[in-house]
Amino acid sequence: MEEEHNVNDDQRPAVGKTPDGDHHGTPAGNSSEAPGNPDVPARNTRNTGPGRLLIAVYAVFALSATARAGYQILTKFSEAPLAYLLSAFAAVVYVVATVSLAKAGSTWFKVSVAAVLVELVGVLVVGALSVFDSVQFPHETVWSLFGRGYAFIPLLLPILGLAWLYRRRPVRATAAP
Amino acid sequence: MDAYFFIILAVGLVSTAICLIAGILRKAPNDATILSVAAVEVALVVYLVGSVVRVIAGEPIAGEAWEFWGYLATAMLLPPAAIYWAILERTRWSNFVLAAVGVTALVMAARMNQIWY
Repeated sequence: MEEEHNVNDDQRPAVGKTPDGDHHGTPAGNSSEAPGNPDVPARNTRNTGPGRLLIAVYAVFALSATARAGYQILTKFSEAPLAYLLSAFAAVVYVVATVSLAKAGSTWFKVSVAAVLVELVGVLVVGALSVFDSVQFPHETVWSLFGRGYAFIPLLLPILGLAWLYRRRPVRATAAP
Repeated sequence: MDAYFFIILAVGLVSTAICLIAGILRKAPNDATILSVAAVEVALVVYLVGSVVRVIAGEPIAGEAWEFWGYLATAMLLPPAAIYWAILERTRWSNFVLAAVGVTALVMAARMNQIWY
């Protein structure tokens, strides 16, 4: 597995336009990081292997949540302001999670952890509230009923996200950029 | 649900199945998986052409027209984006990304049908 990641890491600059193009400058410029341990650059990215599937699913949710929240707020905001503001908040969380997962480096790692944790809390709290208080939460956000309208993927995503972030956590000693 | 939905349902499910199996067998994206996703795009183009013809012929869209076209345009972006993403990193995981296109497209086609009727 690790070898696979490294091979892919080497291929990427040749392909050109990638989200972590800036990341590749770091090991090249900072000689203390790369030569001894070729695992370090691979370790500090989340956008290879299973991470690509995770980012793709997050991207779909970012897109659909943004479109849905935009539509709700522009056309019928006054009907359920709280629910639609939550929709917009969920959309922002998905966008931040998508972008931060695709980026390399330990700062983006922290952003990812924060976004995924907020997402997990959001889906649990909004899911529970939508069950108990269906007047304030008229079942119209991504997180309502624990994401039932989206095949419970919103509930599954943050759990998979945290598991993936844990597997790709930056190594303490070498992680400082 | 009209014929366009069922075309995308069939093509999408076949594409998702091909890509899932290839991913489970630890294969990198190959002609079969990439072409199956390209077939989803072709099905969406058929839906687009058919819908344009129907609108020109005077058939009304029951729901919000811009919502329908928004869904269609977004769905049509997915296969090229997934193929591009899969070619950048040719590992088994990219096949799972490609597999996601078929199901996403058919969910979106179902929603487009709801908007139209």
